[in-house]
Amino acid sequence: MTWMTPLDFAVRYTAVLILALIVVIFGIVAPAFLAPGSLMSTLKAASFIGIAAVGMVFVLLTAGIDLSVGSAMYLAPVIAGIAMQRLGIDVAPALLLCLLVGAAIGLVNAILIVRLRIVPFIATLAMLFLVRGLGIWSTGSRQIDFPASMRAFGQSALFGIPMPVIAFAIVAAAAHIVLAHTAFGRHIYAFGNDAEAARKAGLPVRRMQAAVYVICSTCAALAGFVLISQIGRIDAGFGEGREFDVITAAVLGGASLFGGIGSAVSAVLGAVTVQAVKAGLVYAGVNLYLQPIVQGAIIFLAVFLDGLRAIRMEKQARRSIRPLA
Amino acid sequence: MQTLTLAAALAAGTVLSAGAASAANICFAFQDLETEFWVAGHQAITTALQEGGHTVIERNANEDANRQLEQVRDCIAQGVDGIIIIPQDGESAATIVNEAQNADVPIAVFNRPPSDLSKGIIVVADNATIAEQAVDFALTKAIERAGGEPVQPLILVGDLGDPNAVGRRAGFNAAVEKHGDAVATPIEVASNWDAATALSNLEAAVTANPNIDMLFTSSDFLFPTIRSVLEPRGMWKAAGEEGHVVMAGLDGDATACSLIKEGYVDATGVQDLYFEADAALEALLAAMEAGEAQPNQVIEDPGFALTTDNIGEREMDMWGCVLLAEGFLNK
Repeated sequence: MTWMTPLDFAVRYTAVLILALIVVIFGIVAPAFLAPGSLMSTLKAASFIGIAAVGMVFVLLTAGIDLSVGSAMYLAPVIAGIAMQRLGIDVAPALLLCLLVGAAIGLVNAILIVRLRIVPFIATLAMLFLVRGLGIWSTGSRQIDFPASMRAFGQSALFGIPMPVIAFAIVAAAAHIVLAHTAFGRHIYAFGNDAEAARKAGLPVRRMQAAVYVICSTCAALAGFVLISQIGRIDAGFGEGREFDVITAAVLGGASLFGGIGSAVSAVLGAVTVQAVKAGLVYAGVNLYLQPIVQGAIIFLAVFLDGLRAIRMEKQARRSIRPLA
Repeated sequence: MQTLTLAAALAAGTVLSAGAASAANICFAFQDLETEFWVAGHQAITTALQEGGHTVIERNANEDANRQLEQVRDCIAQGVDGIIIIPQDGESAATIVNEAQNADVPIAVFNRPPSDLSKGIIVVADNATIAEQAVDFALTKAIERAGGEPVQPLILVGDLGDPNAVGRRAGFNAAVEKHGDAVATPIEVASNWDAATALSNLEAAVTANPNIDMLFTSSDFLFPTIRSVLEPRGMWKAAGEEGHVVMAGLDGDATACSLIKEGYVDATGVQDLYFEADAALEALLAAMEAGEAQPNQVIEDPGFALTTDNIGEREMDMWGCVLLAEGFLNK
């Protein structure tokens, strides 16, 4: 049995160590931050961005990007809300409808990117405006109030675990199984590492590339539904700019914008890290003007350390192909 | 889209008062219509302009300050007679006012003041005073309930890049100072005018400080978010019930009106939307009539606080109660 050196351990588990460091520092500054209720509250708050970040990892793994997630978070629950109001449908069918709308948004993204060969950045940027515009148009800029059953669902818990955390765990576990234990998952990594080689190897790259955008938008729709189910109302500004939070969470957890690197676990770590920083600043009572600065600095430091880790791992990988002495 | 009967009636009055002004081309450039307030403000202005026989060129910048500047430039190029803007922020508003005045087109800024108040017709709510009135009422109630113990207040602050949010925070702090030692150091929670941010930050703040006696939200649209945090903790109680957290807001929307009636909210600072729309149009049309290309004027909306004590008399002075009476929340 060979033991890892502390440096190798640090290199391998940078994202976990950064999260642990943040928790310890804020725990020292504000001990209430470490109370079980506080940690669960942080996890619950992280679920919104976390669910969407898990979906985003699928896209990032293919070296793509989806800028329309914030708009999908808005439009899909809006359609579900309108259906609940006008057709009187219950929470479960509303959730299904929300997911279908999310999948439809992803499908349009996929058609634009895979079929029409538009660059993902441009295609999803256009969809960002189109989808939000559809939402604003369908609501006339007005808020949608959901029935009481929606809030009852959003505020429910199972064995003391809040519904948003359960939804987050299910999505993360399902994504982990798909990415780590299925042929589809291996195809995604193969495509992200070398798209041309994957194509030449006969992998169904177009279908796979389309699927990741559908998954991403569906996750974004679910994230929006999970958050709105807690509030019971959706306003016209909901989800705006959230695409950046989602991408930040995925990248902070270790996903690469250049494809091939990342996992469901990394998205979970990234989302929880971002939320831990935000919550920690509230617990510590940091001045409101300083909060975005401190938050930005911590996230920059985390990404910087992760960058160092990537460089070191690359060097180690290069060393490993040499014959052992 | 709701019909703003009262707004239309008031606006009709505006147009009549400025009846001497001939039909004009007015550019109305606004940022996104995200809350009831902006929807109602937009409706009040457009209805008034159309009923006055003026041609309205509407431009929605979707919260993009640069796009709004381009839209205003486009309006100027089209030869409009006057411009009304709801800007994205104070800095961009100042730039746009300069742009219009350099082209000799009269411009009025609605509700969100530019960083430079010396140029343009600026209609602005006195956010600090309005917030102070509402918070003062709420703190007085909370102190009465506290029985000698210092009251713990919490403020949900808006986007600190928005002068309205800064003014409301200043008004809150002024009211807190007024009550001296009876009030503990306030807990400040950032919302950035975003429900999801408010939800996560408020959840953290209330978990860390469960003994909050008084809560002030810088905008009424966050009341449903506040409810979702307080309700599971047994802190969402109407006045008179054990555990009631004294609450105040600002804007005067339909939800706040409904919650004051139900007893969950104790007061809200009201921006007199109809006065603001009326004043902006009247000043702009008067300047155009007088051939004044660069009118400079600050018109302040003093606002008022609608409280559980005065709702009987002042209910229909608040735009949100008018919307509520029209069935806005049921549409």
